[in-house]
Amino acid sequence: MIARSASLVSVALALFAAPAAAQQAAAVIAIPPLTTPDEKATGAGSPAAVAWQASQLIASDLRTTAELVPVGPDQKDYYSYPEVTAPTFSRWRAKGAKFVLAGFVRSRPDGRLTVGCYVYDTLKGTELGRTGFVVAPEDWRRAAHKCSGIAYTAATGAPGIFDTRIAYVAESGPPSARVKRIAIMDGDGNNQSFVTAGDTIVLTPRLSPKAENLAFVSYVDGQANVRIVNLTSNEQRPLVAGSGGMSFAPRFAPDGRRIVFSMQAGANTDIYVADSSGGPAQRLTAAPGIDTDPSFSPDGSRIAFESDRSGNQQIYTMAADGTQQRRISFGGGWYAAPVWSPDGEWIAFARRIPGAGSRIGVMKPDGSGEKLLTDDALDEGPSWAASGHELIFQRAGPDGRPALYRVTLAGGDARKVVTPQDASDPDWSGVVD
Amino acid sequence: MRRALFLFALVSSAASAQFPGLSRRPSVPPPPVPLLMGIDGLRAEFVAQSGSDKVFFGGDSAVLTAPARATLAAQAQWLRRHPEIIVRIEGHADASDTRDHALAVAARRAEEVRDYLVLLGVPAAQLSTVSWGKERIAVIGASQDALALNRRAVTVLVR
Repeated sequence: MIARSASLVSVALALFAAPAAAQQAAAVIAIPPLTTPDEKATGAGSPAAVAWQASQLIASDLRTTAELVPVGPDQKDYYSYPEVTAPTFSRWRAKGAKFVLAGFVRSRPDGRLTVGCYVYDTLKGTELGRTGFVVAPEDWRRAAHKCSGIAYTAATGAPGIFDTRIAYVAESGPPSARVKRIAIMDGDGNNQSFVTAGDTIVLTPRLSPKAENLAFVSYVDGQANVRIVNLTSNEQRPLVAGSGGMSFAPRFAPDGRRIVFSMQAGANTDIYVADSSGGPAQRLTAAPGIDTDPSFSPDGSRIAFESDRSGNQQIYTMAADGTQQRRISFGGGWYAAPVWSPDGEWIAFARRIPGAGSRIGVMKPDGSGEKLLTDDALDEGPSWAASGHELIFQRAGPDGRPALYRVTLAGGDARKVVTPQDASDPDWSGVVD
Repeated sequence: MRRALFLFALVSSAASAQFPGLSRRPSVPPPPVPLLMGIDGLRAEFVAQSGSDKVFFGGDSAVLTAPARATLAAQAQWLRRHPEIIVRIEGHADASDTRDHALAVAARRAEEVRDYLVLLGVPAAQLSTVSWGKERIAVIGASQDALALNRRAVTVLVR
């Protein structure tokens, strides 16, 4: 549910595609309506109805990307079932489309639907990818997101961000007594649901890579502590039993089995790692100061974190066992909340610059190539899209009320993500199985 | 409560000694006298006598300033006279800090206040700490004044 119309997106794409010479221009992909061999059945949930809805959703998914400009669906672009695997490429080339997505929806004897999608290069006339699903008619959105995903991957080589989940904190009430609830929505803003009831303060939800489990911070015991909830069973438990100080800033390892987090003892806060299913925590840092916001590299070998051991917040990396700690941020101001990108290429962060607010930026894991992606605002809490091409983050308005925004690595204006309530602490999952 | 009953017994026995005839009358309950102050009254007295239940900090800092030390000295004086009172020191950060660092720095502020009160003779068993990070903003706004008023530790009388 990105807050802008199709025409606005096209304008924005043109604006930020133009000056970035190094960036590849957005490619046109034709999205003719998915076809169906079961033309007779009509009405809600019928193959024909789902085919049309899914085609619209695929186009709407791809419209949110910086790399693709979808054209369609248009009822006039109807093609027959056999043409799904043998498209007339010249027809799409004539429309200026570099890619075409063809597919079908077919009913099954058990009442479910088979959805198949194929992506082709119209210039070379080759197939670039295909995917197929059997879904209940009411789950057609997920099948459509999967189709969007293969189109995106075929065009960019990166994972699609459509069949993903976003966890965040939904906020309401006055600033002195905010009601905060963990909420989860699909990557496109649909299927909003709450995980917690709002009777206690909750912070920083973090999804496991495939969004099966969620780690978050809760004040249910009277102080901040990390809890884990299974999103299927809703079973909840503390990560570390009976720790004296606070535990906070959890984040799953790429394998989904371990969690890195911070634990406070007196004036000191260090980074620990623990099995997400329980067991003792292993301490990774011991420097005096506040070490927090740990984030694994995608191969699990290293951890980025922030520490104020030098006097103010800066970004460091270390091996996953806590050795080889080294500082990588050296610009002016404070660097906080590092998050390693899914492709391992970048570390995103929030940089506080005195008198200039807090901005979202990225740097290479060795500290080189820093660039700031947002401008002159109170931005924090970046989290990567599965594609590694985009970030979601929190921006506070002048009245202090937070909302979620997305910004691409290529730059350009941040786009607001519409949520039913004020929203903070976003966390974007990997592609769901 | 026990003290109130004891006082009442003293009063009635004195009354019977002075006016023997009164003791045969049905006993009249004494007017309610607030001999023990409720927690709200104690909080008001604590703030009045300490000057404030809050101390403030510099940006990104948990160092106690001279005015903060003076306030805490007055708080300690009151708390030493009330060893029965359980106290929670609540640390806060301002909205310009990032979420997790705010939690840790607010914890540091609460710990700093607790340690100083202990140094001034308040029994450690009387004191606990909690960090609210930037979750309980007292003054809205991004001005330097608003930020400064939110970087605080509050000495809360629990019971």
